[in-house]
Amino acid sequence: MMPRSTFQIFFQTGAWVVIAFLVLPLLVVLPISFTDTSYIGLPKHGLSIQHYVNYFTDAAWLGATWTSIWIGLVVATCATVLGTAFAIGCWFLSDRASSIARWVLITPILVPPVVQSLGFYRFWVVLGLIDTNMGVILAHTLLALPYVSISVFAALTNLDRNIPRAARSLGASVLQTVWAVVVPAAKPGIATGFIFAFIVSFDEIVGVLFITVRRVSTLPKMIWEGIQDNIDPTIAAVATVLVVITLAATAIGVMRKK
Amino acid sequence: MTSPILSINDAVKTYGSIRALDQVNLDVAEGEFLTLLGPSGSGKTTLLSAIAGFIKMDGGSLTLRSEDITNRPPEHRDFGMVFQGYALFPTMTVRENVGFPLKVRKKPAAEIQKKVNDALEMVQMGAFADRMPSQLSGGQQQRIALARAMSFSPQVLLLDEPLSALDKKLRADLQWELKALHNQLGVTFIYVTHDQDEALSMSDRIIILKDGSIQQQGDPNTLYNRPRNKFVADFLGKSNFIDVTVGAQTGTTLQCAAKGVAFNVETDTHNAAGSDVKLALRPERLKLGAPGEEFLPAVVKQVSYLGERCQVIVKHETLGEMLISCPTWKTDITPVAGLAVSIGWDPDAPVVLSED
Repeated sequence: MMPRSTFQIFFQTGAWVVIAFLVLPLLVVLPISFTDTSYIGLPKHGLSIQHYVNYFTDAAWLGATWTSIWIGLVVATCATVLGTAFAIGCWFLSDRASSIARWVLITPILVPPVVQSLGFYRFWVVLGLIDTNMGVILAHTLLALPYVSISVFAALTNLDRNIPRAARSLGASVLQTVWAVVVPAAKPGIATGFIFAFIVSFDEIVGVLFITVRRVSTLPKMIWEGIQDNIDPTIAAVATVLVVITLAATAIGVMRKK
Repeated sequence: MTSPILSINDAVKTYGSIRALDQVNLDVAEGEFLTLLGPSGSGKTTLLSAIAGFIKMDGGSLTLRSEDITNRPPEHRDFGMVFQGYALFPTMTVRENVGFPLKVRKKPAAEIQKKVNDALEMVQMGAFADRMPSQLSGGQQQRIALARAMSFSPQVLLLDEPLSALDKKLRADLQWELKALHNQLGVTFIYVTHDQDEALSMSDRIIILKDGSIQQQGDPNTLYNRPRNKFVADFLGKSNFIDVTVGAQTGTTLQCAAKGVAFNVETDTHNAAGSDVKLALRPERLKLGAPGEEFLPAVVKQVSYLGERCQVIVKHETLGEMLISCPTWKTDITPVAGLAVSIGWDPDAPVVLSED
């Protein structure tokens, strides 16, 4: 092995520290989730699965999970349809107006979530959407839109601009051209956008805290309230389940690519 | 000409202050191989896009078999089109690509199958039907694009610099194939290129465009040997230019004087005595000899060896530099820089340009 320079040691140590910083907080929830105590802490006398049992049997936890999933799916569907249509439209135009429109659509990523949520709150009060599923879906769709359109834009950057012209000259109408040629080419971006949109909605908490009261409860909101009110270790169990699902999905994705 | 298949009348297209098409009038004959030739910015691609229906003209009209199609959308014009970058649909197989125009026309599956096979056979790509475009080389992709544009038997085939992305050898092969295909199918081809060799080797007729207007049109032979102006003489092949003052003209023989050099030119044009005209002289029509052999003394400035030909730049005292292209196998002298030589030409070699 080559002798290491101070320089190398410095940067390798730095890299490990960063990894530890990223991963340790995830790992700490694992022992907490198996704690035998009724508050958040490391196991005292032995391991217990009581908090997992609680999560999978408690109506409130399951209800919140289900709400998050179905709202996420509806949001992902709406955002994917709208974001894809927007991106394809801009790609076709590709003029000054469309590049301005692209920047405007990306603003939800740039504006601080608190400011945005305040906006939702004020506006939803007027529209009577406070504490409704519809209100959450609308807000999340808006937040998820830029992710979809950005990933569809990325998929279309390398598409030859003559391709729609070729389709037209071969006899396809504008709609047929979009449907048979452009959408299939954008498919990888559309799929990525759908997943992104789902995650944005599933994960979102600030907006939900502003625009819901009692009737609508999503999983992040339950976790938040769990910490606030009763320091229930069930949230560690929930967190562990989410981490495991994420890891599994990533592993499947990596294996399918191979 | 019998009644044209396609007519372009007074076509105008402007982009800001630039006139991309400036009152273009053009009739395309049925079955013709027509080439639009010009440098970039000459309006040739704009003209083709207007014919295809991708851009709306600011003025003028377009008729197909005496039917006005000026406002008809591209999908209803029934023109096949081949693009420089192939423009194959990346998510479809070769077979699906070629079958696409038939599928959107809702043809029965059996007919699609047959026509796709025929089109692929036509371009010798039958073995590649189930590949994806990304698995093919550039030349193969362009063959597929050609098969796709022909599979639905279009009235006219539009080709937008289809060979310019390919390497030189492949380009030469495909020129032969395109020409053969045109002869075999009898379909009207409208071909856009900036490459004069392509234009000369394949076309029945060449339209030379500059700044959105037609400079000259005719068959390759006429255009090459009888260019009308300096632009055509210089763009289609190379030319040397000599400004001369016309002396007396007797029949077809014209006496010319240029900076102390007097010579006769055979021409079918009529020129008033005392007028100034420009002569174009092809490099291959200039003769290179030992000192005293030809009628003008000159000195070799630079030599470029090209295999079968040799290009020589010589300098004459008053006429300045001239480009000579001579076959390497039949020159008696070996030109090197600094060598004293003589140059000359036959009286029918210079072309009197009728405009600037």
